[in-house]
Amino acid sequence: MHADIHWGLPIILYFFLAGMGAGAGVISAFVLLRGEGNANRYGGHSFSIARIGALISVPMVGIGTAFLILELGSFEVGNYFRFLMLFTTVTMSPMSIGSWLLVVFMGVASLYALSFLKPDAASGDANDGTRRTMAMLMIPLGACVAIYTGVLLGAVPSRPFWNSPMLPMLFLFSSLSTGVAAIMIIRVFLNSESEGKEAEYRLAVSDFGLIIFEMLSLFLFVLFAFLMVGNSQDAILAIFSGGLASTFWIGVVVIGLLLPALLEARFLTPRLQGGAFAAPRAMEMLIPAAIIVGGFILRYVVVIAGQVTGPVGL
Amino acid sequence: MPYDDSKVLRRDVLKGTAVAAAGAVAASTLPTNAVAATAANTVQYAMVIDARKCNGCHACSVACKTENNVPLGETRTWVEVIEKGEFPNVSRNFLPRLCNHCSEPDCVKVCPTGATYKREEDGIVTIDKDICIGCKYCVQACPYGARFINPISGTAEKCDFCLHRVKEGVVPSCVNTCQARARTFGDMNDPESDVAKLLATEAVTTLRTEVGTKPNVYYIGADHTDPKTDPDQYVRIETNRRQQERV
Repeated sequence: MHADIHWGLPIILYFFLAGMGAGAGVISAFVLLRGEGNANRYGGHSFSIARIGALISVPMVGIGTAFLILELGSFEVGNYFRFLMLFTTVTMSPMSIGSWLLVVFMGVASLYALSFLKPDAASGDANDGTRRTMAMLMIPLGACVAIYTGVLLGAVPSRPFWNSPMLPMLFLFSSLSTGVAAIMIIRVFLNSESEGKEAEYRLAVSDFGLIIFEMLSLFLFVLFAFLMVGNSQDAILAIFSGGLASTFWIGVVVIGLLLPALLEARFLTPRLQGGAFAAPRAMEMLIPAAIIVGGFILRYVVVIAGQVTGPVGL
Repeated sequence: MPYDDSKVLRRDVLKGTAVAAAGAVAASTLPTNAVAATAANTVQYAMVIDARKCNGCHACSVACKTENNVPLGETRTWVEVIEKGEFPNVSRNFLPRLCNHCSEPDCVKVCPTGATYKREEDGIVTIDKDICIGCKYCVQACPYGARFINPISGTAEKCDFCLHRVKEGVVPSCVNTCQARARTFGDMNDPESDVAKLLATEAVTTLRTEVGTKPNVYYIGADHTDPKTDPDQYVRIETNRRQQERV
């Protein structure tokens, strides 16, 4: 494991922030469209949830993209605008497609966020048409931004750890669950609480579902790599033994998946049995915090493990 | 092969390549080399390295660094030392490495700006450093670890078969300097070239064929031992690159 790490913290932060921002944007648009015509669905909070997601999406993806540019070799030696070469051409490279996708997403997400910007913005105001149209575009575009990073990593056979069709799915579910978690934790800080905790319940339910899907994706990702012979099997061993094993099992599996899933199950079960959803405020902060930390560690482990493993044999 | 002075400066041989290629188009009845089955009518520069002749002197690495002003700590071509076995049954083999100028190069597929491309006229994979943004995607994608980021220009760099020399009809610097004459360079689609003859008559192998990149650097008598595929015996691979482990 002495190979050079070419993609370091900036790229990891980009994958994490862009995923979380895109996920928050998708969830925001979904809640906005779903909440219309059914005011009670989110305890009357659908607009405020959508607003949080819309307003955090652009800065998160924007800051992540800035990190991405910082890591470019051309930027490091002082060619600060060389990255614009990306937009002189379209190639079939996942990075080229992703760059254009980011531009379109940032445009749509900015218009979407602007429609929420006025302090008195509300459902049915002058911006409602734009907001609805942009929300409909946000869902596919945000999903594409979340998926493409996984496709980008998976497109290279020389990195067997990444070269898996499950990686984009894993990144998508991780993005969506960290997106919900970001909205949840900001709602706690804003001290926003809906009637009968209806909105909190809805967010927790969707988050729980997304974590389950993320667990399934991760399980299948690890399982299929393990069942392969040669390159993939050798690469997946990087998270079973060696320096990354404890980071993966404690950071991703325990903190990022098991802990939030079990805690959410603990507070969701009473409501399913006819009771009330009554998660204390501390828990409402701990659960999304664990998900966000886990989401970051997942990107860290994947990006590093891919680079310390390679093809087996010559 | 016997020493042949014409291989040091093969201006004529290389210049004759274009004529030979044109002739091949006209006379399609020419026997097709089994190795050079793809795009037989175009020029594809290739290298055949006879690992049995290599004595690990690293002259190629040094010549390359001088010729191409390769920054400290990086190499465009390097020699791996493969030690294996238990005394008295031991071996120490040398394996010169460089860019394979693949026919299906993954680095070209992933390049977002088109800075890395495979030249249609001679099959050399090269980089336009005025377009490269240094995203390092190609460094990740190369299964042979042939690429690095030049710390001075901030762009991706690798062996380009000494394009500036080959254009002038001169063989690459490593081929020119190799004391053991282990390296042979030329157009593998020209049946009269030295590489085509070697490919037709010798048992050759390429590296990491399973990744599907169709490399164009061929080896005679190469030791493909890798510590990961031979966990039961003592194997030590030494490279002269900054990373101490084969990538």
